[in-house]
Amino acid sequence: MDIVKTPDWHLLIVWYFFIGGIAGGAYFTAAIADNYGGVRDRSVVRIGYTLALLLIGLCGVLLILDLGTPSRFLNMLGHFKFWNPMSIGAWMLGVFGAFAFVSSALAWFGSEQSAGLRRKVSLIGTIFGFFLASYTGVLLSGSAQPFWSEARLMGALFLASGASTGMAAISLLLFLSGETSGEGFRKVKRSDRVAILLELVILAVFLGLLGSAAAPITQGAFAPLFWGGLIAGGLVLPLLLDFFGHRVKALGGLAAVLVLVGGFILRYVIVMARA
Amino acid sequence: MARTLAMFTDTSLCIGCRACQVACKQWNELPMEQPEWTGGYQNQSHFTDKTYRLVRFIEKPQANGQLQWLLMSDVCKHCAQAGCLDACPTGAIYRTEYGTVNINQDVCNGCRYCVSSCPFGVVAYNHDTGRANKCTFCNDRIHNGLGPACAKTCPTESIQFGFRDELVPKAEKRLAKLKEMGYAGAQLYGADTNGPLGGLNAFFLLLDQPTTYHLPEKPLLPQRNVLVDSLLSVGSALLVGVGAVLAFRERGGKEGGDGHR
Amino acid sequence: MTTNLIDIQHSDVIMATSNFAENHPVGFQWVMKAKERGAKFIHVDPRFTRTSSVADLHVPLRSGTNIAFFGGLINYAIQNNLYFKDYVTHYTNASFLIDPAFKTATDGGGLFTGLEQTGKGGGDPHLAQTYKRDSWKYQLDGEGNPKRDLTLKDPHTVFQLLKRHYSRYTPEMVERVCGIPKEKFVQAAKLYCENSGPEKTGTITYALNLTQHTNGVQNIRSLCMLQILLGNIGRPGGGVVALRGHANVQGATDLELLYHELPGYLPMPLRDAHPDYKTYLEKVTPKGGFWVNLPKFSVSLLKAFYGDAATKDNEFGYQWLPKRASADAYSHQHMFVDMYKGVIKGFLADGQNPAVGGPNAKLARAAMGKLEWLVVKDIFITETAEFWKAPGTNAKDIKTEVFFLPAAPAAEKDGSLTNTMRLIQWHERAVKPPGDVTSDAEFFVSLAKRLQKMYAGSKKERDKGFLAASFDYGSDPKEPNMELVLKEINGFATEDITDKDGKVVYKKGQALNTFAHMTDDGKTAGGCWIYTGVTVEGPDGKLINKANARKPADDKDYLAHGWGFAWPANRRILYNRASADLKGKPWSEKKKLIWWDPEAPGNEPDKKGKWVGLDVPDFNAFLAPDAKNGDKPFIMRADLVGAFFGPLNDGPFPEHYEPIESPTKNLLSKQQNNPVAKIWQGLDDKNAIAPVGSPDFPYVITTYRLTEHHLSGVMSRQLPMLAELFHSHFAEISHELAAELGIQNGEKITVLSPRGKVHVTAMVTHRLKPFMIDGKKVHQIGVPWHWGYNGTPGLPGSKGDITNDLSATVADPTVYIQETKAFVCNVKKGVV
Ligand SMILES: Nc1nc2c(c(=O)[nH]1)N[C@H]1C(S)=C(S)[C@@H](COP(=O)(O)OP(=O)(O)OC[C@H]3O[C@@H](n4cnc5c(=O)[nH]c(N)nc54)[C@H](O)[C@@H]3O)O[C@H]1N2
Ligand SMILES: Nc1nc2c(c(=O)[nH]1)N[C@H]1C(S)=C(S)[C@@H](COP(=O)(O)OP(=O)(O)OC[C@H]3O[C@@H](n4cnc5c(=O)[nH]c(N)nc54)[C@H](O)[C@@H]3O)O[C@H]1N2
Ligand code: SF4
Ligand code: SF4
Ligand code: SF4
Ligand code: SF4
Ligand code: SF4
Ligand SMILES: [Mo]
Repeated sequence: MDIVKTPDWHLLIVWYFFIGGIAGGAYFTAAIADNYGGVRDRSVVRIGYTLALLLIGLCGVLLILDLGTPSRFLNMLGHFKFWNPMSIGAWMLGVFGAFAFVSSALAWFGSEQSAGLRRKVSLIGTIFGFFLASYTGVLLSGSAQPFWSEARLMGALFLASGASTGMAAISLLLFLSGETSGEGFRKVKRSDRVAILLELVILAVFLGLLGSAAAPITQGAFAPLFWGGLIAGGLVLPLLLDFFGHRVKALGGLAAVLVLVGGFILRYVIVMARA
Repeated sequence: MARTLAMFTDTSLCIGCRACQVACKQWNELPMEQPEWTGGYQNQSHFTDKTYRLVRFIEKPQANGQLQWLLMSDVCKHCAQAGCLDACPTGAIYRTEYGTVNINQDVCNGCRYCVSSCPFGVVAYNHDTGRANKCTFCNDRIHNGLGPACAKTCPTESIQFGFRDELVPKAEKRLAKLKEMGYAGAQLYGADTNGPLGGLNAFFLLLDQPTTYHLPEKPLLPQRNVLVDSLLSVGSALLVGVGAVLAFRERGGKEGGDGHR
Repeated sequence: MTTNLIDIQHSDVIMATSNFAENHPVGFQWVMKAKERGAKFIHVDPRFTRTSSVADLHVPLRSGTNIAFFGGLINYAIQNNLYFKDYVTHYTNASFLIDPAFKTATDGGGLFTGLEQTGKGGGDPHLAQTYKRDSWKYQLDGEGNPKRDLTLKDPHTVFQLLKRHYSRYTPEMVERVCGIPKEKFVQAAKLYCENSGPEKTGTITYALNLTQHTNGVQNIRSLCMLQILLGNIGRPGGGVVALRGHANVQGATDLELLYHELPGYLPMPLRDAHPDYKTYLEKVTPKGGFWVNLPKFSVSLLKAFYGDAATKDNEFGYQWLPKRASADAYSHQHMFVDMYKGVIKGFLADGQNPAVGGPNAKLARAAMGKLEWLVVKDIFITETAEFWKAPGTNAKDIKTEVFFLPAAPAAEKDGSLTNTMRLIQWHERAVKPPGDVTSDAEFFVSLAKRLQKMYAGSKKERDKGFLAASFDYGSDPKEPNMELVLKEINGFATEDITDKDGKVVYKKGQALNTFAHMTDDGKTAGGCWIYTGVTVEGPDGKLINKANARKPADDKDYLAHGWGFAWPANRRILYNRASADLKGKPWSEKKKLIWWDPEAPGNEPDKKGKWVGLDVPDFNAFLAPDAKNGDKPFIMRADLVGAFFGPLNDGPFPEHYEPIESPTKNLLSKQQNNPVAKIWQGLDDKNAIAPVGSPDFPYVITTYRLTEHHLSGVMSRQLPMLAELFHSHFAEISHELAAELGIQNGEKITVLSPRGKVHVTAMVTHRLKPFMIDGKKVHQIGVPWHWGYNGTPGLPGSKGDITNDLSATVADPTVYIQETKAFVCNVKKGVV
């Protein structure tokens, strides 16, 4: 019988963590494409910003559903603690939402003149995007649950995963909308590989640091999901598909799906192992 | 800030009568709950949203064949550095002018972050109200010149209430006495303001290791990890960032500009 | 109890033989205080309980072997010269010579001289024999005073007989009988005996652990004997602490809600032996000791009962008193047997729940099913009020007409409670009872008045006394004024009382200040002489209710004489003359309580000398140590000394016998159990008794309480805050037994006795261990008895089977108490 109590957070929170990650990741990918990419990456930019905007709205809904009533979300805005991830998180949700809105608006309706502004805005927005993708992890590191906090890597891990799922989401949409011919698809994929590799590295260090404290996911009920669903299915397999099958677009689409599923599984096992 | 109040629970005086547990329920009008089979007299294995004082019964057969039945009345520690308080995003958890830690039910939004942030597993989520509950240090009583209901009820003065700076020396005297009576394992838990969490305003005299009593050997403030993880997150942000920039960079920009040149 | 809970803090050693911490937690604070002062604390109990958890030494003994244990201690103290010689020689009957014809059980094969077959007994082997006590007496000198040998050497001295009687109770024997390892017993014996004497004192506490046995009274005698042997009575930090039951059970006993005594411990008249008042008084008034005043108390009592109707000419109404047909008893168990046999047809259960709490509860419920009517007056609907709802009963078969009357609990009425230390404390009503709810006093007074109306003018002899009885307590016709009830109990003058020079000392109706002022001429009335002084008239003529006094202890008065009123005469430690030596000086400075001050002004102008000190002397305050009987502290006894030799129905010395149901034969003698214990016969299958060492019921079982619950559980099972403190009804069993039976902690088990069975949760614990009895392993289990078939809605665990369905209808021969602390059972895995 553990001394420390679990917050009994459930699926709503898992979804919130997952969606928030994608939103942050997608926005940041779009911003990079916007600033460093070329004209053929426009679709990436548009999809990225818009996806971020839609998902951030969904995040708000999820949070409120978990808390019960909308007013309870406002309680968090009545108060600000700079050292408290959850407190800042609540604020950032709003701020990032604003950026996502402006960026998407400019991306769709902005004139040529406004493009410069759009890029600068997006560079700043990226910071908040990253925040949204990672703060949910830092929040776990800041709890008393040894499994969540001891490695002090949750934030880093969630960020890598957020970025990669964000990219996967964009590439999937490109695939579905048939825009796989363009440079964008390839570039997103390429950068996603980096994110996935990084995520694998962090996970390795994470498990190393935790040792037996990682048991909740490496052993028992969640082990198959973790090893099979995340490590093998959600990270290694997509990498291989991308390396060997990047000629075949369909495989690219499949890889994106796998990454997304993997990203969900990551949040799922980590949260539910302590629910 | 008024003089810090404290509760000193001296387990060497506890007879496990559970009057404190009942007095707490009665004063705070906490509803009934299903008991749990814990294998012994204890009716809940841990604090719940309806049990703020929990008397623990620990059977410990000794090497010498003698039996020890350790009885302890556990409660929120009202930590000087409180994980629950730091975790609370709404400010519902606050420190009173007496140094006690309390939850303002009107402000609590039920996010449960405090629940996972208490190193002692004290705060519990109340599914009926959708808010977090824990010992209030009888906030209403201390603000009306009364001691906590649990301390008031204890027949053996196992729970003592008073100003921290007066209780600690008392506790140290008692410890010394027990030592000379041969209680080798006797120790104070949370009395020292230089100790873990800057000291506990509800501190204990134990007859055995803290872990025997379901207490962490060395409780740590969970928020200590926030900064490190934040920096590491920035690190991994830079890495994915670089990766993406490399991926998207237009090599030599030979391909047709996208209009802004 | 002879002492006072507060005084326990001054003990050097405390031996709790009951579950003090769990059942008297508030009083237990004084043990903790003593411990903080460095006192040693021993707990004697088959189970390791919350009391044991704070003890220096826990001594587990097999239930029902207490006399073997205390006898062992007595033997140890004598053999090792650890007894208090001067105290024993002068303050007890140790030096008295006994009739040479008397032989102890050591020489009588476990029996004392004089056991006789009476012929009667109705198949009860035990009733068929009684002791003829001819030889159980002192040798008298010419003046009829007991002969003494202060050297204690004469083989006929009580001391030598005592020594001889307990010579068999060696540490080895204690180990074989009680299952206490010899080393542990010796450790306890040393610890206790070596902490008594002039400089040190020890306290022993007991409760049901000693009483609920077929030798219950002898159990208690054995510990009292140990205490006088060690000089622990009447001295600070010493004493016999009887930890009593219900908040007011002491008061109920003092006012004698009993069949064999009248208020103030006056004997209940017998129809044949006491045909008239004169004979009664002659026969029941002892020749010596303070009890020579009995007639004054008796007459005052009759005046309190019958008021002006009680006059010299009509023997103060003595003939109106109900009388016992014979010395036969009308105890709780007798009553239910008679109900079952159809002798008793109606029953008023006022604040009692025998359907759960009575021994052999199955029989109790069956008995109530044979009544014509049953009235239950209670603050809750009890199992008794719904006895027909018991599992397995078919309400259709029950013809009993049942009435329920709601009662007001303590908080809804004024009144007093007399607690375990004879302390009378007043409580005021906090809220008025709701609706039809009435206090017990209101109920009984109005019932009596109605009946008096109904029977007014009746010429029948049997109605006269009842019609003469006075029930007027104040102006309010419905609600008696409880302070006037207290005044009647206290006693008052029935007419102006003048001293020899005609000066009025009491005006008519004035409350008496002390029972010393009671007279046998009808000028005083008093409902319970020992309570006199509890309420007295102040200078302004108003009553001062001393039960309401609330001055706590301070350094000048550690016994808190200003808090409540302790009977008699606010004395906090009884027999406290014994705290001083023959000359009246404290045995030691450390242990001083009262002493003779030769310089203090005496009771007459020209006289000097008075007993002074920290307590009210339980002695004639002006009787000098060197005056006749000035050195005899035990004033309530005819011979004024503490009794080692004390004739009871089952012998002058306590002797170990096995409980009626036991897994083993008696290892001390061939006499298996108390030869005169009572076992009721003719109860169909309802009182089956297991034979000695029955393989069908191999385990010892004891029943007991938990801090969290109250008695039959009515008052705790229906209170969620308390009811939720235990998961469910359970039995405590050792790991060893659990292993033998393959029982897991927390699984359901069945406990069976020859009378019935209960299904409970197994609580497997290290706190019980099997005993090695004469080399054989004997298991003992423990089952609390608080559960019944009513409980808190939504808390299934608050209901449970009735433990008393297991216990038997057997009794001790002196007070007829049940044997619910030690009988036998079997345990089966699962629900069978
Ligand atoms: N909380 C609470 N307090 C109560 C009560 C209650 O119901 N609840 N009831 C009140 C009443 S009415 C009474 S009479 C008192 C009773 O007070 P106690 O006598 O203390 O009550 P029990 O628990 O019945 O029995 C005490 C102990 O006797 C032990 N025992 C059994 N057999 C033997 C034996 O042969 N020798 C020895 N030495 N010990 C033995 C049992 O293991 C048990 O622990 O408590 C009063 N106080
Ligand atoms: N097996 C086993 N059996 C035992 C014992 C044991 O140790 N083992 N102990 C024995 C002992 S010591 C005792 S004292 C008995 C107790 O047996 P009971 O006295 O039958 O049990 P209680 O539950 O105390 O019943 C008291 C009732 O009085 C009611 N009551 C409370 N206050 C008032 C009031 O002011 N007025 C009225 N009218 N009613 C009131 C309560 O609601 C409760 O129903 O049990 C005995 N039975
Ligand atoms: S013990 Fe837990 S709940 Fe209590 S103050 Fe400390 S951190 Fe908060
Ligand atoms: S649950 Fe309530 S008290 Fe706990 S952290 Fe959230 S808002 Fe604060
Ligand atoms: S201080 Fe008050 S709230 Fe806290 S445990 Fe004691 S009684 Fe309960
Ligand atoms: S009231 Fe006192 S003695 Fe009883 S359990 Fe609580 S702390 Fe222990
Ligand atoms: S229940 Fe009443 S009488 Fe019994 S210990 Fe508690 S306070 Fe004393
Ligand atoms: Mo009792």
